[in-house]
Amino acid sequence: MNQLGTIFKFELKGYLKNKVFVGVTVFLVALMAVVMFFPRVSGGFGGEEESSISGEDGQGTEQAEDRDGYPVMLVAGSEEGNLSPESMEMLRQAFSQAFMDYDVRIEEKKEEEIKEKILTEDAECAFVFDSLTSYTYYVGNLSMNDQNSYMANEVLESIFRMNAMMEKGIAQEEAQEILSSPITGETESLGKDQIQNFFYTYIMIFALYMVILLYGQMVATNVATEKSSRAMELLITSAKPASMMFGKVFASCFAGFFQLVAVFGSALLFYQMNASYWGGNDIIASIFAIPTELLVYMLVFFVLGFLIYAFLFGAVGSTASKLEDINTSVMPITLLFIVGFFVVMFSMTNGSVDNLLMKVCSFVPFTSPMAMFTRIAMSTVPFYEIAISIVILIGSVLGVGVLSARIYRVGVLLYGKPPKIGTMLRSVWKA
Amino acid sequence: MRLEIKDVHKSFGEKKVLNGISFAADSGKAFGLLGRNGAGKTTTIRILMDVFPADSGEVMLDGQAIDHHKVGIGYLPEERGLYPKKKIIDQLVYFSELKGMKYADAVKAIDYWLERLGMTEHRNKRLDTLSKGNQQKIQLVTALAHDPQIVVLDEPFSGLDPVNAMLLKDVVREEIARGKIVLFSSHQMNYIEEFCDSIAILNSGHVVLSGDLHDIKRNYTRDKLILRSENAGQIQAELGASCTRNGEDELLIRLASPADKQRTMQMLTQKYDIDEIRVFEPSLNDIFVEYAGDQE
Repeated sequence: MNQLGTIFKFELKGYLKNKVFVGVTVFLVALMAVVMFFPRVSGGFGGEEESSISGEDGQGTEQAEDRDGYPVMLVAGSEEGNLSPESMEMLRQAFSQAFMDYDVRIEEKKEEEIKEKILTEDAECAFVFDSLTSYTYYVGNLSMNDQNSYMANEVLESIFRMNAMMEKGIAQEEAQEILSSPITGETESLGKDQIQNFFYTYIMIFALYMVILLYGQMVATNVATEKSSRAMELLITSAKPASMMFGKVFASCFAGFFQLVAVFGSALLFYQMNASYWGGNDIIASIFAIPTELLVYMLVFFVLGFLIYAFLFGAVGSTASKLEDINTSVMPITLLFIVGFFVVMFSMTNGSVDNLLMKVCSFVPFTSPMAMFTRIAMSTVPFYEIAISIVILIGSVLGVGVLSARIYRVGVLLYGKPPKIGTMLRSVWKA
Repeated sequence: MRLEIKDVHKSFGEKKVLNGISFAADSGKAFGLLGRNGAGKTTTIRILMDVFPADSGEVMLDGQAIDHHKVGIGYLPEERGLYPKKKIIDQLVYFSELKGMKYADAVKAIDYWLERLGMTEHRNKRLDTLSKGNQQKIQLVTALAHDPQIVVLDEPFSGLDPVNAMLLKDVVREEIARGKIVLFSSHQMNYIEEFCDSIAILNSGHVVLSGDLHDIKRNYTRDKLILRSENAGQIQAELGASCTRNGEDELLIRLASPADKQRTMQMLTQKYDIDEIRVFEPSLNDIFVEYAGDQE
């Protein structure tokens, strides 16, 4: 027990004095500060939103004229179509209101010249109209999330409807009212709100993924370094292999946890300092509104998940005699972990976190930290299922811990080619 | 104190490494554990240090099974190496703490040993800034700082310059004088011969020879003579086949039986001008080659 403490202290000090560890932590905290202070520095999201809303209401047209720095969008009539200048001006105004981010201009030139202008980047895009209900959209590079033609359709549709109604003798104001009739609806989730929980679940799973792979690799490298520098010759005669293994893994777990708390803690702190500038941004608010209950589960699954993988990585590290061997040796563990990660990510983005695969994964100890946590966060899981999953996980952590300490004892004294898994297990069984 | 290894067997998988090793080492004396590469020395040492258990057999201290929680063992492994990137004092304290020392005691003991070995100036440096010999001295501190009752030194002199070798010899002598059991393992026979009162020679997991070095030498059949004379050529001609040239003026004379010793010596000294004539005693090197040379 005493030895375990000594090893834990020594290893932890090793992490805290490691320049890379300190550097990465400081960098991440600084990054959080930059992100969280961004709205305050850039003038605040909330304020900007308000001004743009008022713009839409009142002096919409005036605002529209004053868009010099914005990308240029051209509206033009085609040669075949014969739209009147009044219609063109009406289109310009309607588009100007719909596309707030563009400087919308009427173009008198022919189609060929319009294309030329887009290619030379004098304009970003152009709508060439045959009639009020038919157009060609020209754009330089069609980006993946280009919504312009969709928005143009909406604008044209409402113009068409408005005209139609006015033709039927309905007054313009009345027509406008009919078209923009407000609908209020409210959704109330009786289980979990997947939209709200999505972001912090996503962040937690991702943090777990990063931390486990990073620290697992560190534990494996740490063990292999001791072996290749032959410090192991002395260590193995000074301390029990189980103390070595557990001391190392606990130290790395503590270091990883410390790093996470530092990064997310500072993010929370910086957010609190700037909360008003974020102006009720739903996503950010939802991330920082994790229920305490979920935070506790997060802690439990994080620690257990970390431990089980760190033990595996440590055991594998002990079988490698050169640092170069590590990458190939840890491959199976990394793959196992990545498969689990993708099952969870895929199910999350699909919104089907309770599918059969996820249910199975949430009881398998190597995937349950991610899978069960995701299910708890994004769906309603009966408590007994959670309890069973945690019990299985704790049992497995202990089992894997003891097994890895045994592998470690056999592994650290083997030099040369890393042994095959079968031979390794057989010699561990006998030892 | 008396450390006894009794009939220790050990195999790894199919491979039998130790086939009933037995020997005993007393405190206040140095013990030499000899054997060619792969003879089982390191395995024996690891069993002694409880890295893994023996398949059968016992390690006893003063007639009782050794209690590794109570008995301190210091070890200088043949494969040297500590943490190259860490500060010397930090890792020395770490290893001493692992051996059960309190922090303050560890620092005190380490400072004493650094001083004793002339390494105080390197106390706060990183290990990899030191030369190989100095790193070796640092490693020696890990074997001695916790004041163990048993000190195991595996090839302690390899890589040391003559001055450092002298320093190490002095340190080892002090440790022996303080009543510790010192176990040497080395291939440099001259050092073993200089220090060790008792030896055990291992060959393929068997002890092929063990006991008091002096007795071993005495027990060799004393049927050979070493003779040094300017007339070596003439003598060789007279004695014929029983005589081999050992050097320029030196002859090794094999006698028919030890009883002929006195008569032959008398005869030769009367007849020739002899510089030196004595009974041949084998060196440890000769003994080692004889017993360990035929490893299967």
